[in-house]
Amino acid sequence: MQQSTLSKRINELLVLAVLGHGPAHGYQIALSVEERTGGAFSFQHGTLYPILHRLEAEGRLRSEWHGEGRRRKTYHLTAAGRAELAAGAAELERQFRALFGLIRGTHAA
Amino acid sequence: MPRDHPLKRVERELKVAPRRRLDLIEEVDADARAMQAELERRGRTPRQARRAALRWVVPTHKALEELEARHAPRLGRWARAAGWVDRAIVLGVALAATLAGLIAVVAMYGSGVPDVAAFVTWPLAVVIAAIAANLSWAAIQLLIHGDLRPLQRRSLWNRHAGLVVAAVALGALGAAWVGRVTLGPLELLRISAPEGPMGEPPVWEAVGQMATVAGTGLAAAVFGLFGWLVLTPRLLTDEEAENRIADFFAEARRHLALASDAGLDHERKGGP
Repeated sequence: MQQSTLSKRINELLVLAVLGHGPAHGYQIALSVEERTGGAFSFQHGTLYPILHRLEAEGRLRSEWHGEGRRRKTYHLTAAGRAELAAGAAELERQFRALFGLIRGTHAA
Repeated sequence: MPRDHPLKRVERELKVAPRRRLDLIEEVDADARAMQAELERRGRTPRQARRAALRWVVPTHKALEELEARHAPRLGRWARAAGWVDRAIVLGVALAATLAGLIAVVAMYGSGVPDVAAFVTWPLAVVIAAIAANLSWAAIQLLIHGDLRPLQRRSLWNRHAGLVVAAVALGALGAAWVGRVTLGPLELLRISAPEGPMGEPPVWEAVGQMATVAGTGLAAAVFGLFGWLVLTPRLLTDEEAENRIADFFAEARRHLALASDAGLDHERKGGP
């Protein structure tokens, strides 16, 4: 797996995981990711929006506009997104377990 | 000197349909305000909070490119994936212009317009090709980027209107010239042999040639106007979204001016 593909996958799972706790605005997702991962991951410089819009186009999220005049957008996780989160997390866990197994094995040798 | 709104750059750089641009800047603006409020609640000064919120949510050039690729029309996404974005526009325009020019030439020469009218018929073919090129440039731009900015749109329309007028004028001029060179000799023939064995001279043939040239110019004008009419509903929708974008920035400017006045007032009264 290429690094860019891996980071893209991780970013998607981060967004899906935050929305798994309930609907949120874009800024709440960004803050939540940074806080809940202790600053290990962050979405600065608007990098969150391409991910949100891609996941929405793929049907893993849906969005709603609220308010008249000054509108705000809220994102919700869909059933497809929930399934994707479960499958993606399991896959990533398997890959990281294999990676760390290899690293620890190398160190042991 | 007043500074640009932070989202002005986003609006300028993002080449997608105005409706999409409006949605994005409204989404980012709402997030920036909410994040600023949240950071202020956490103890940052308004200035620090605003700066941090903007750093967090305003998309960089790379993020905008990704958004552009995501929100491009279907044909645009295909052209991007194939690495053909600019080539597709150039090829489409060239093809439309060549085809329209060829059709005009074949129609005129195929119906027997005399060679003496070439000084009008060739420019007419070029004008018809230019009308097709102008129209297809606008249409392909909308199909690929989904975005035709007001300034571009105005300049395209001005050029289009000029070409339509030129087509009508050339058609009329061509018809008059063909009439002069074909009907003149026929008149002489009629005077010298009023009841000759050939019967009535072929006046109708000359009138037909005149009508062909005039009709080609008129048809080009109708093609140009109807072509633009096809794009009009989309252009009107775009214009409505663009007006809302302009309102958004005007309101933001008013807001900024009020905030700045309030800040100065606060400083004048000896605030920190």
